[in-house]
Parts: sequence; C-alpha cells; structure tokens
Amino acid sequence: MSPTRPVSNGANGQGNSVVLGPKDRLVGQLFIEGDLHVSGTVDGSLEATGDIEISGSGKVSGAVTAYNRLVVGSDASLIGGEVRVARLTVEDGATFSGKVSMGKPEPKAEEPKPVEPEQVIQPKAKRR
Amino acid sequence: METQEAVAEGTASAENGEIKRDGRKQFSMGPQDIFEGKLIYDGSIHADGKVEGEVRVSGNIDVASSASVRALLEGANVTLKGQVEGAVTARDKLTLGKNAKLSGDIVVRRLQIDDGATLNGHVRMGDFESHTSGQ
Repeated sequence: MSPTRPVSNGANGQGNSVVLGPKDRLVGQLFIEGDLHVSGTVDGSLEATGDIEISGSGKVSGAVTAYNRLVVGSDASLIGGEVRVARLTVEDGATFSGKVSMGKPEPKAEEPKPVEPEQVIQPKAKRR
Repeated sequence: METQEAVAEGTASAENGEIKRDGRKQFSMGPQDIFEGKLIYDGSIHADGKVEGEVRVSGNIDVASSASVRALLEGANVTLKGQVEGAVTARDKLTLGKNAKLSGDIVVRRLQIDDGATLNGHVRMGDFESHTSGQ
C-alpha cells in the first residue's frame, strides 16, 4: 500500500477516513485529520485536512472547511454555511448555498503588488 | 502600436454578431471583440473577448474560456468557461467549467461546478426576482 497523501494520523499510520452513513447524525463540530464521507445528517461545522464528500442523501447545515477537495453529490445538500475549500465539485441536482471561498486555505497578509511604473504618454507635438 | 478594436458602447445593436440558430437569436462574439455597456437581448449570447457592464438575456449565456467578463449576467442557462467578475443569475442552471473563475454572488435554480473551477462568492439557490421582461 502506498500512501496517497501525507496525512498520517490513524492507528496504522495511514490517513484517517471517517464515514457517516445514511442513518448517522452529527450535531456539533468535527475536525478530522484525513478524509470525511457524509451520507447522513450533520448540523454543525466540519473541517478536514483532506477531502470531504457529501454523497447519497447526505445533508450538511453549517460551515465546511476542506483543505483539499469538497464534493457535493447530486442528491446531497449543503446549506447555509461558510465554505472554504481548495477544490470544489458540485454535481447537477445538488442543493448548495452559502459563502464560498476558494484558493489558499489561510491567506496571509496580502502581498503588496509590485507597483508598475505608469507609462507617461507624451502627446505628440501637433502640426498645423 | 495602433490597434483597431470593435467597441460597442451603450446599447448594442446586434448587426454584426447576430446569427439565427433554430429560430432563436444568438449574439455571438469573437475573442477580439469588446462589449461595454448594457445589453438586454431576446435570445442567447456567446460571450468572448472582453465584456464589461450588464448583460440580461432571455436565452442562454455562454462565456468562452478566453473571455474576460466584468459584468452582471442574467440568463436562463449560464455556462462559464472563462473568467467572470460580477453577480450571476441563472433562472435555470449555472455551470462552471473546469477552467472557469468566478468572483461574485450567484443566484441559481440548479448548479453544477466541475472540478478545477474557482468560485468566490455567495451562493443562493431557489427563487429570485427576474429583471428580464422579454423586451
């Protein structure tokens, strides 16, 4: 077995993977070093250092942060939270609303842009 | 260097870019075209080149991968493959292709985001007021 990502938090040194099945329900906050698969109901906020996949008839109400990728399946729903992800896939048919921020997970202080010298266009001398 | 650009200011008359397809009007732009202003159009638009302002159509909006759009967009089906800055309303479906970059709030009935697309903004799904009155 070759590890596909540098996450090693599980008992066997492999990346963790948590599955919430269709009959599972979570209320509160969850942080996981690894991947998360939700096909149950979540009321609260989720954060994973790997991927988060909301599939089947999974329903999530709350903030979602995935350091890598978030997938919302065609029958799944994600409502009302702040969504911070590096990559995002929303399948046709999914219910999806919230504030989406993509790009680097923790944007540091904005780098000042190099100031480009403004080009001064010299008006040509008019000839009569 | 002198460059000649076709600039449509204000309300566009769709003389050059208009093609009829399947009996529906299509406003078609090329990669060198520039549109600035407000367009309310009974038909569909294929946007390429540079678009700035406001575009409301009764049909579909399709933004090409080489396009750069800074505008408010409203259409039935909206498909983005290029760069868009501005609010987007899709009365039916919004599709973000894998190279699409969208910064702006969106209101949609259905949403599809392909892996690779970039989105920054609020997403609202469901009912919304329409401003296109079919004229």
